[in-house]
Amino acid sequence: MKGPVYLNENTGVVVIGATGREASQVIKESEALYPGIIKAGVTPGKGGSTELPVPIFDTLSQARKDPAVGSKINTALIYVPPASVLDAVMECLDAEIKVLYIITEHVPIKDSAIIYQEKVRRKAVIVGGTSLGCFVPSVGRIGAIGGKDPSIAFRQGGLLIISKSGGLTVTTAEMFKRRGWGTYCALAIGGDIISNTTYADVLMQVKDDPNVKGVVMLGEPGGSYEEQAAELISSGVFKKPVAAFISGRFQERMPEGVAFGHAGAIVERGMGKATDKIERLDAAGKKHPVKVAFYYHELVSAIESLGVPRDFEDSTSAHVAPLYSTIG
Amino acid sequence: MKLYEHEALESIYKKFQIPSPKFVFGVEPTEKVREFIEKQPAVVIKSMVLVGKRGKAGAVKVVSDKAKAVEVFQDLATREVYGEKSVGAIVCEKLDIQKEYYLSVTYSTKDRAPAITFSEHGGMEVEEIDHSLIHTYIVHDVRSVYPYQIRKFLVEIGFSDPEMLRPLSEVIVSVYKAFWETECRLLEINPLVVAKVGEKKKLVAADAVVLLDDDASVPPSVRFNARGGMGRPLTQREQDAILIDQGDHRGKAGSYVELDGDIALMTFGGGGSTVTAETAIEAGLRVANLTDIGGNPPAEKMYKIARIILSKPGLKAVLVCGGTASNTRIDVTLGEGLAKALDDMKAEGVLNPDLVWVVRRSGPEYVKGLRMLHECFVRNGIKGEIYDSQLPITEAPLRLKDLLIKHLNYKPEQIV
Repeated sequence: MKGPVYLNENTGVVVIGATGREASQVIKESEALYPGIIKAGVTPGKGGSTELPVPIFDTLSQARKDPAVGSKINTALIYVPPASVLDAVMECLDAEIKVLYIITEHVPIKDSAIIYQEKVRRKAVIVGGTSLGCFVPSVGRIGAIGGKDPSIAFRQGGLLIISKSGGLTVTTAEMFKRRGWGTYCALAIGGDIISNTTYADVLMQVKDDPNVKGVVMLGEPGGSYEEQAAELISSGVFKKPVAAFISGRFQERMPEGVAFGHAGAIVERGMGKATDKIERLDAAGKKHPVKVAFYYHELVSAIESLGVPRDFEDSTSAHVAPLYSTIG
Repeated sequence: MKLYEHEALESIYKKFQIPSPKFVFGVEPTEKVREFIEKQPAVVIKSMVLVGKRGKAGAVKVVSDKAKAVEVFQDLATREVYGEKSVGAIVCEKLDIQKEYYLSVTYSTKDRAPAITFSEHGGMEVEEIDHSLIHTYIVHDVRSVYPYQIRKFLVEIGFSDPEMLRPLSEVIVSVYKAFWETECRLLEINPLVVAKVGEKKKLVAADAVVLLDDDASVPPSVRFNARGGMGRPLTQREQDAILIDQGDHRGKAGSYVELDGDIALMTFGGGGSTVTAETAIEAGLRVANLTDIGGNPPAEKMYKIARIILSKPGLKAVLVCGGTASNTRIDVTLGEGLAKALDDMKAEGVLNPDLVWVVRRSGPEYVKGLRMLHECFVRNGIKGEIYDSQLPITEAPLRLKDLLIKHLNYKPEQIV
């Protein structure tokens, strides 16, 4: 099978909340770039609409019963408003869909806690909330990740990029592409407090996948998901090289509770600080191939020093000149 | 969003029947406050601030001499605690405390579930309690928590007071219900006291720390007044910024937190903004503000936030920085919104010509957008460098630092 569980050659997507502004744009763009991955969309009251390049149904159960696309659907992409996410997730789980992406931001934590418990009970894979989606250059993409022209950032290679921030997932893929490393899979897991897919969950999924030559992990303050990844590596279960960058050290010089960036990126009650995470990963790096970059752009030299082979030639000079300068 | 203690007592403790002391809240010593003091043999007066560790700052006082209580109230209702001005004070009955417990409910990211934390050794800061004396009960089925489950947990951790077993289990369930149903991120009671009332022992929540989920189904800012997260009132610029996004959901440009420095940030995307600010600070630049612009805002929004950011006095430089946007149009945000702000400020004579600029941006229509911004720089005599994504995002603050040292003899801070 080509591609990881998150997105592979067998993936068939149904978009929940398909006719909304963001979702319909993503469907149009994605189908133009990677036709055939999205099989159907669901929006109550819009069944039969032909505005989009995929069939639209009123309910997921209708889509599942459709002779043309029903049996091909195994993955859901959720774009509904925050208050409707729990309902959408339950609809998908009841329809036996086992891989779900929650793109919606600002899902109430209470609903996230219920979703996680349902996910465990039904043995599903759920990415998000606040995921930007997944990119696997050999297969295609799920979600808006990479925008209209993903070729700027993505080229096939051996890196697995895992990031809470969606924007940084793409920015990181591009930074590596310019220096000779391509992407096997880029997954934006979202920064919510209750995250349905954590770094450790992803590492467990791909620990024996020969396509993964190295991992780039982008972390943020808040929660303990980065610490859990460090623990997994320290325990010897995950053996591949990992370069990590944890943002947000500067927040430690600010009052506790200053929200900045993602909802989960809040240093609370003296737990989950950036320096706590860096310490754990550094400790894992004593015995295992783990490097923590001090500056974000030093992730590149970290991957290089861990011996992850380049997938193609380095195309950027060491010193980048400005495009325009109005200063001497 | 954090609640003041009196808000938590009035709106949450009462509703969920969490036993709390008799109290009265006031901004000044009103008739009601004076009457309350008169009726009590002794009182505890507390400043109402959001910042923690009030006791250590002298903002919680036990007063037995009634003659002094009004004076103490006046002081505590108006004083600054760690730089935060009190919004008033509460007067509570003084309890006959036999024992102090610690109780909190929050989310554990280890278990991805609500966690009830309890210790028989409360009263002090939770960080100071010996770890082996703190016990956690993970709520594996969020929809059903019964007192019997809590009693089983308490017996397992060796809870020492059989007499309090039933009442404590019931209070803990009430607290959990309050946490769950009001959509908190944290509900902490420290101390939860065992108080002597006549011959009986009674549990009383002698404190309330409540953090509501900002994403709750009913937004906390609708239920309570909006407040800044910095432990201080919002500045004028912060208030102006909030208005940008109100009633207009096209993108987001109104997140603005003012800091003390002289380097303005116009940064894009949650993650991109964080790493850029991070690098600037680590490199020793004194950052004047934080922002997080994204989701393809229209030119008007970008115009407004740019003018707010640039209006802060004493700026030396501006860093415009973001990754490769998926959605946000670079021609609209930088080529139109920012450029118009600069043109207008120049025309009004309020654009500082000595500012040093570094711009690093990519995304939809970036070639056009960066060219338009460059033309704006030229016609307004603005000094700086413009990069696309060939320059790694976090090298942009380092380039700005070099320019500042070279052109303004800037002295970066030494960060250890």
